Amino acid sequence: MLHIERIPLLWVFFQAAVVVTWCFTDLETGPGAGVSVTQPNGDRFKIEGRAVVPGVKTQDWVSTARIFVEGEEYVGFVRTDGSFAVNDVPSGSYVVEVITPNYRFEPVRVDITSKGKMRARLVNFIKTSEVIRQPYPLQIRANGPQTYFMKRETWGWTDFLMNPMVMMMVLPLLIIVLLPKVVNTNDPEMRKEMEQSMNMLNPNPELPDVSELMTKLFSGSKGSSKAGSSSKGTRPAVKRR
Amino acid sequence: MAKLILMCLKFMVLCSTVEAVFEDQVGKFDWRQQYVGKVRFSHFDTHLQSSKKVLLATENNVFASLNTRTGELLWRHVDKIGPEGNIDALLQHGQDALLVVGDGRLLRSWEINVGGLNWEIVLDSGSFQSACLIGQQDIVKHVAVLKKTVISLHYLSNGHQKWIENLPESDTVDYQAVYSGGNGDVYALGVVPHSHIAIVVYSLEDGEIIKQISVEAPWLSNIQASCAVIGQGMLTCVDSATVSLYMLDLDAQSEMTQIPLQSLGLDVTPGFQPVLVSTQPNPAQPPLSEFFLQLGPEHHLLLQLNDGQIVTLRDFKPAMLVSFATTGEKTVAAVMSPKNMTACTINLFSAESGRRLLDTTLIFNMDPNVGKPEKLYVQAFLKKDDSVGYRVMVQTEDHTLTFIQQPGRVMWTREEALSDVVTMEMVDLPLTGTQAELEGEFGKKADGLFSMVLKRLSSQLILLQAWIGHLWKLFYDARKPRSQVKNDVTIENLSRDEFNLQKMMVMVTASGKLFGIDSKTGSILWRHYLENIPSNAAFKLMVQRNTAHFPHPPQCTLLIKDKDTGLATLHVFNPIFGKKSHITPPAMPQPILQSLMLPVMDQDYAKVLLLVDDQYKVSAFPSTKNVLQQLQEMASSIFFYLVDSSQGRLSGYRLRTDLSTELIWEVVVPTEVQRIVSVKGKRPNEHVHSQGRVMGDRSVLYKYLNPNLLAVVTESTDLHQERSFVGILLIDGVTGRIIHEAVQRKAKGPVHVVHSENWVVYEYWSTKSRRNEFSVIELYEGMELYNSTVFSSLDRPHAPQVLQQSYIFPSSISTMEATLTEKGITSRHLLIGLPSGGILSLPKMFLDPRRPEIVTEQSREENLIPYAPELLIRSEWFINYNQTVTRVRGIYTAPSGLESTCLVVAYGLDIYQTRVYPSKQFDVLKDDYDYMLISSVLFALFFATMISKRLAEVKLLNRAWR
Repeated sequence: MLHIERIPLLWVFFQAAVVVTWCFTDLETGPGAGVSVTQPNGDRFKIEGRAVVPGVKTQDWVSTARIFVEGEEYVGFVRTDGSFAVNDVPSGSYVVEVITPNYRFEPVRVDITSKGKMRARLVNFIKTSEVIRQPYPLQIRANGPQTYFMKRETWGWTDFLMNPMVMMMVLPLLIIVLLPKVVNTNDPEMRKEMEQSMNMLNPNPELPDVSELMTKLFSGSKGSSKAGSSSKGTRPAVKRR
Repeated sequence: MAKLILMCLKFMVLCSTVEAVFEDQVGKFDWRQQYVGKVRFSHFDTHLQSSKKVLLATENNVFASLNTRTGELLWRHVDKIGPEGNIDALLQHGQDALLVVGDGRLLRSWEINVGGLNWEIVLDSGSFQSACLIGQQDIVKHVAVLKKTVISLHYLSNGHQKWIENLPESDTVDYQAVYSGGNGDVYALGVVPHSHIAIVVYSLEDGEIIKQISVEAPWLSNIQASCAVIGQGMLTCVDSATVSLYMLDLDAQSEMTQIPLQSLGLDVTPGFQPVLVSTQPNPAQPPLSEFFLQLGPEHHLLLQLNDGQIVTLRDFKPAMLVSFATTGEKTVAAVMSPKNMTACTINLFSAESGRRLLDTTLIFNMDPNVGKPEKLYVQAFLKKDDSVGYRVMVQTEDHTLTFIQQPGRVMWTREEALSDVVTMEMVDLPLTGTQAELEGEFGKKADGLFSMVLKRLSSQLILLQAWIGHLWKLFYDARKPRSQVKNDVTIENLSRDEFNLQKMMVMVTASGKLFGIDSKTGSILWRHYLENIPSNAAFKLMVQRNTAHFPHPPQCTLLIKDKDTGLATLHVFNPIFGKKSHITPPAMPQPILQSLMLPVMDQDYAKVLLLVDDQYKVSAFPSTKNVLQQLQEMASSIFFYLVDSSQGRLSGYRLRTDLSTELIWEVVVPTEVQRIVSVKGKRPNEHVHSQGRVMGDRSVLYKYLNPNLLAVVTESTDLHQERSFVGILLIDGVTGRIIHEAVQRKAKGPVHVVHSENWVVYEYWSTKSRRNEFSVIELYEGMELYNSTVFSSLDRPHAPQVLQQSYIFPSSISTMEATLTEKGITSRHLLIGLPSGGILSLPKMFLDPRRPEIVTEQSREENLIPYAPELLIRSEWFINYNQTVTRVRGIYTAPSGLESTCLVVAYGLDIYQTRVYPSKQFDVLKDDYDYMLISSVLFALFFATMISKRLAEVKLLNRAWR
């Protein structure tokens, strides 16, 4: 009879304090005869919380969602308002995950003491004893849809042009074509001036190859510029010989 | 700076090994099928006339809703495996479905349109007996749950408990049923076996006991099996011993009235326990006064209770299955009766009168490979002219659900046996006639140059013909709209494709039904139901002869072993057509301990299967003279091992020439300390391409490739988290030599192992750090190979070098397998099935014990990734994107004809098939290959050369004129 009186009392407790778990109330009423009937296999607790997917109606995702406590050890389901409760969990430390195929949720570690005190903290598998508190009852927000797919490499003209190899080819080409048009290299004064400036830039005698390269380049550029006008096309070739 | 470089390197490595699905590849070569399992409870959603839902609660702890038009899942909720997720009862009221789960532990209410949970409450402990909806004045607001010792009443709207009462004398009375007739009283019916019935009546309002009576019933032992409440609270029971019906008015009487069945002119089939079936269409109203009485396996009666008198409305004989269905105010009875050997007819009868309703005959064709009908679910609806129409869902012995519409059109079929696949194999498809012709040319002996040339020409001609035919078909199909083009796959037009990517999946399910599934489309091509399969059978499927030996048909052998007795039977069949082979398998009177396939073939190219019985005698199948002779010659080199996990003994045997055996080694793992959990050898069809690894300094580290190596996993019997451990033993299966032994302290199972090439990867739970960890062991011979031509277990004097490394894995895993390719050139990936349903493809290079902690020039040269304790799960590595495979139990990998491609099938509650490319598609053009670009560039170059040639000519001409 004691048991029958206890149960409604217990129920009142439960209704009064939604946040307080079932087993808290159990403990407060004391481990009497009634409790031994309701809790035969040690104390079992309830993990509560709420999962939110920003910008998506709950009814669009709750039917595919499950709550995993330590893998598939304990399973809970999400209510139509996004809240959830996993019943019958003994004391211990668990990783709680919201599993949906389309949205990504961060897991949370929940510690339950043997008296039923709960705390939630960030999961850290490397430093397992580190505590960064999280709110309890759990508030788990999805941090976006799952990205399962790789982007295809699409081919565009800009990709082609911005390719470093192409840039390396195109820019010198432009210089070769445009520079002779801007500066008249055939003018001997100009030429002298340029050579002088080149020597100024390159005072170190240990590196003669740069000037060599420049002269080669100039002779080459002259050749190419000459090639444009067919009348004097053969001259550079002769000179090279 | 060094860190930065390291980061860069890591990033580069990561990028280079990323292997993911592209969005446009969705559904291109992968498919998924979702199942629910064997149906235990089923309700058609009847609260709306136009509803297309059927609710299913299954023995796999799944609660799901199906679309009745297509048979597809609308939503599905998968609970825990085992008794804690077991669904005890399913009640439906309006938009809500109530489930009692876990032997009465939880009461859940589901919203059936969305598939979301309304509420869930924990019930008091005590084993569950019965539940029913309680209505009053036509409104149903409560649900009563009867347990062994208590009865409780809950509100339907929020699950809150209205009252809970102890059942009186619950230690002697076995309360089994709860009933309410809609008048505000709740009846708990209990029985003291072979003594009396106890009836307790509670008030709905406050749970007060209104009345408590006990009625003599010395013949009764189980209320649920033999009683039903009929009409205005008339408890009716049937007893086979006295061959009579007993009736009791729950409100008025205190003694049962006996009505002998003979007085009604009926008699019971001897040895059959009669069954009563009543119906209560509305929980707020008493049940109908019409009910079914089953008197024999194929004999049903529709009876009516009329003023305390029982009237026979109709006698159905033969009738296999009966069912009531209600729509609107009308209740009908559907009766299934056999028509002939392959078909059944279902007819509808008015429940009130027993008259047959016109035009309600429905024909159900029974496939001989399907099994007998077991349950009948009827969806009745009112037609426009107010007559009753109906559809039926038939559940057969092999867990198949068939939904049929009048006059017998099958709307859909669900093969729920596939929710429980035990083992599978992939078999190459046969060659087409033309391909076989071409192949045959090489096989035959040369008969002259001229005829060979002729044959070659003729076969080329046939090929040309086939090609033109193919082109013509393409052209013809292209003109038709796409929706009309159907590529129906049937067994007749099955043929191997050019890269052998399409195969036949032979799947064995726990119910004993075999399936042949086309791996490309997922369509079931054949099914075969094996009857009389013991419920605890273990299966082993072996391919004895593949399709390469035309004209011999391919042959598969299924070994079915009863786990308790050890007795086994063989089922030999053709994997392409599913037909049972004409070869009679040998009878095996002795329990079988071990079976092994030898690479030895008989003259018909069937591989030899050896079976070892409990007398350590070996029998061969096929056992022709040729085979026995070959076995005698080879006997000295045939070794096998036996595992006795109960005694912790591993023993190795050698075959003698007279097919007896001799014990050559024995390893005992003390069972007080640890027990053997699993023993894994290597896959026989695995190829290793490179014998060693090239190090940074250009020397070669040779792999220890012992084909006889066994990985034995043990777990400690002490489960205390400080003292538990996981052990792994590497044993040579021929000599019994222990190659290596590793112990993981403060760890426990379940341990998942993959053993391949020269490495073993295993996963365990670290109790100390409460996380899952991976460990990898690699074996190397060293810088020199002892005998490079052939490996012999008997002649390897040097112990291999063992390298081991462990990593943290941020999730538990369900199963694990390694990819497999034709020649083993492609790098390996591990396919890891996660409880969330994802199949993760983790490159093996992350699980490499040579990953350095400090990066050196040499390790960079070798492309080793620097060691990081945690393995990451990247969502791009999920090969099945959002097509999750719930409760994945196994992953099967098979090589395809392309070296880059490995075929993968993951099975659990769902089945998912796809292809993976561990080293990307290096041997075929990518499917996004830009044909347009390459051809436009080619054309542009061609025209450019033409134009420049012309210009050059003009220029030359001009110069010549000068």
